[in-house]
Amino acid sequence: MQETPFVLLTLTESLTLAFRADTLGSAFLTLALLMWIAVGIYALRYKDHQENNGRFFAFYILTLVMLLGLSFAANYMTMYLFFEMMTLCSVPLVLHNGSAKANSAAKKYLFYSIFGATLGLIGLFFIHAYSVSSDFLPGGVLDAAKIAGNEELLRTVAFFAVMGFGAKAGLFPLHAWLPAAHPVAPSPASAVLSGVITKAGVFCIIRVIYFQFGADFLRDTWVQRSWIAVALLTILMGSLMAFREKQLKTRLAYSTVSQVSYVLLGLFFLNEAAFAGALLHVLYHSVLKDGLFLSAGNILYQTRLEYVGDLKGLGRQMPLTLSCFAIFSLGLTGIPPFAGFLSKWELATGALSSGLLPYAWLAPAVLLISAMLTAGYLFPIVIHGFFPGRAYRSEGPDTGEAPVAMVGVVGVLAAATVVLGLFGGPILKFFLDLAGTVLL
Amino acid sequence: MSGYWIPIAIFLPILGGVLIPLIGFSRAKTREIYVMSVVLATSFLSAGLMVAPPEGAVSVVSITRTIDIAFYVDGLGTVFGVLVTFLWPLATLYAFEYMAHEHRRNTFFAYYTMTYGLTLGIAFSANLITMYLFCELLTLVTLPLITHTRTKAAYVAGVKYLIYFVAGATAAFVGIILFFVNGGGLDFVPGGLSAGTADIAPGILGASFLLMFFGFGAKAAIFPVQDWLPSAGVAPTPVTALLHAVAVVKSGVFAIARLTYYSFGAALLEGTLVQKIALSFAIFTILYGAIMAWKEVHFKRRLAYSTISNLSYMIFGILLLTPAGLVAGLLHMLFHGIMKIALFFVAGAVACQSGLHNVTDLRGYGRRMPRTFAVFTMASLSLMGVAPLCGFMSKWYLAQAAVARGGMYAYLGLVAILIAAVFTAIYLLTIVLRAYFPPKGYEPAGQTEAKDPGLYMQIPLGLFALAVVLLGLFAWPLAEWIRSAVAGTFL
Repeated sequence: MQETPFVLLTLTESLTLAFRADTLGSAFLTLALLMWIAVGIYALRYKDHQENNGRFFAFYILTLVMLLGLSFAANYMTMYLFFEMMTLCSVPLVLHNGSAKANSAAKKYLFYSIFGATLGLIGLFFIHAYSVSSDFLPGGVLDAAKIAGNEELLRTVAFFAVMGFGAKAGLFPLHAWLPAAHPVAPSPASAVLSGVITKAGVFCIIRVIYFQFGADFLRDTWVQRSWIAVALLTILMGSLMAFREKQLKTRLAYSTVSQVSYVLLGLFFLNEAAFAGALLHVLYHSVLKDGLFLSAGNILYQTRLEYVGDLKGLGRQMPLTLSCFAIFSLGLTGIPPFAGFLSKWELATGALSSGLLPYAWLAPAVLLISAMLTAGYLFPIVIHGFFPGRAYRSEGPDTGEAPVAMVGVVGVLAAATVVLGLFGGPILKFFLDLAGTVLL
Repeated sequence: MSGYWIPIAIFLPILGGVLIPLIGFSRAKTREIYVMSVVLATSFLSAGLMVAPPEGAVSVVSITRTIDIAFYVDGLGTVFGVLVTFLWPLATLYAFEYMAHEHRRNTFFAYYTMTYGLTLGIAFSANLITMYLFCELLTLVTLPLITHTRTKAAYVAGVKYLIYFVAGATAAFVGIILFFVNGGGLDFVPGGLSAGTADIAPGILGASFLLMFFGFGAKAAIFPVQDWLPSAGVAPTPVTALLHAVAVVKSGVFAIARLTYYSFGAALLEGTLVQKIALSFAIFTILYGAIMAWKEVHFKRRLAYSTISNLSYMIFGILLLTPAGLVAGLLHMLFHGIMKIALFFVAGAVACQSGLHNVTDLRGYGRRMPRTFAVFTMASLSLMGVAPLCGFMSKWYLAQAAVARGGMYAYLGLVAILIAAVFTAIYLLTIVLRAYFPPKGYEPAGQTEAKDPGLYMQIPLGLFALAVVLLGLFAWPLAEWIRSAVAGTFL
């Protein structure tokens, strides 16, 4: 049923660098490519505000190359390799502006990611020793004969491996690099970091859980329960921190922490509905968060305003950007028919149908609370932007709307938010079918 | 080849070294030609010996009926010998350029060349006494190299070096006597005592193993006998790089492998308290070295701590007492040798060019010394374990050995290795990041004319960078070769 992978390099008899284009990988790569093109166009215009553009674009493209390798990786070894390389190639994007703050944020990003990848490596060591095949196979590859008596050991390893890759996805307790890295990185870099690279962590987690250890091996164990608890905690914590944060890009970064854990929550429930909802949320959140970061980029580019308190009355200067921002906000909060609603619906359905008490009930409740918090940290920006109040008098100079190319990209993403929301059905169907093949 | 070529290969560089101050070269060029000829001739001889190993051992001097100085070329010795044979000519080339501005070069190259023979002597020892003797000679001959600069720090380091090694030698000597008296044979036999049926006293044998383990282990810088190594960094870089990252410290590891598998035997030690104690110290040292390296800002001292950590990776692998563990340990011995000598050579080249010794001063040096830092980046990525470079492969084998063996100590070691890997990434990548991405508007410190070093330094550096990649890709055949070379040590 699965194609034989293309083996590029044989490192040892059982350790190879091999590639295969399966549906999941292709879907992820499609998303990455589209985002890379959109943000790339945006970055071409945005670069007027920065130095060392050659370096930026070199590493921008290198990171995409690594994502390509990651998507098509046919085994854990290959995936680990490209995951690590992706980290290394994306570090210069974070430290781009060369300030002391950017340098320390980049180090934080690097070391969190390497620590995470090292935990992931434990998974590779054990999977390799306890599996029938080093390939990614739906349903997992564990060798029942070899693991007999070592189940708990393997579950512990799975737990740490997923927590490790979770560092990239902003999973508590390894989330702290996100709010540090995003504000200092150039906005296009923040957009792909948040929109796509965090999803690379998610992608690796899917591979580890569903294609290596196998959902059945983990279902209804302490590992699954702990994962769900951590994901719920991350969702709440991210939303709360975002709600309290005053700097716009940091707020969006905390929002990412929270939203990517929606995805992880869906994956941890280990059933088809939640899995499909999670994948749909990967797509939706990628579009929404790219849109939000690029909107923030527009604002920074034109006004250099970083704090949400300063954005009053911005609707008059930048009506298009702020309108798009409003659409993204509606989507991220989960208001139909925008993108963002359907995925959360599916996530909640999946949670409820899992029968995993108390999380089957707790998860939808947390999703609701987090949605309210999301509204709480995004809507005021839009409301104060458009309706600053009678007493408001603009203080700064009217710098006008951002350049056409930049507004254009943001507009396209806003349009995508609407279209993907309205026509979410077929996409969900696609992901449900995919879930069917992965969960067997 | 005939067995008598072994002592010739060993004594050629010793004699060649002794002759340097006697001849008293006044021109650098003639000395360089002379030294290189001796080193290359030795390398060819030893390569020949390893390709066509002579049958059996050859005894040079019989001290008593049971004790003699004897040499042989076997699988384990070959693994170590290959490393030394390959690295010595390159390190000598590097030393020519590095020492160009130093004084008393005749003395320096005399001792530097002599150590080659002594290291080969350790690799090709056929019994405990010979190995012990050559380990001691190595200590004595490397001492003047450490104090070469004749600064106060150098003398302090020299005294420290001597104290640690004399104490280590004493422990090892007592260990050897206890071992011999309680039924151990002095000749190296694959499988060691496990092979025989001698009536042996396990308690005292265990004590003798630990005495030898820490005695020879002083060279391998096992905690608590590790502190000489960072101090010894005051020596000129060719010494630090070749001797204190490869020859001397790996002699220690090699000696431990020898006595574990060829004197005692894996079966004898398996599951004993002795193994657990030795493993505990190795695991602790892995973490200790990595954390100290992270805290250290002096470039060469940081690398020295890193060596401490990595040496214990090898000892951990060797003391797992499984074939996979031994192979992994030896593989890491080869790979770490290449990576660490490359890193030290970079540190030396940087110090030579810029006069800077602290890693925090090297901001922006990626631009000034692009080739040097490209090599440094490669070696760093490899040492921290980025696949498929060679450092990843040896760690892969180590981890597989640990997972396959199972049990608390194996898992603890695995965790230690992974934690150390994270620290390795931190203490090396911060240097890379500073070098390539200096803060905005930063002017690099040190000599403004600092640039990539000359060809004598660039050739070895380039070869090492290439080796880091190629050895990673061909780690599997290499591991299989080591596996066959040490086959027979498990009974």
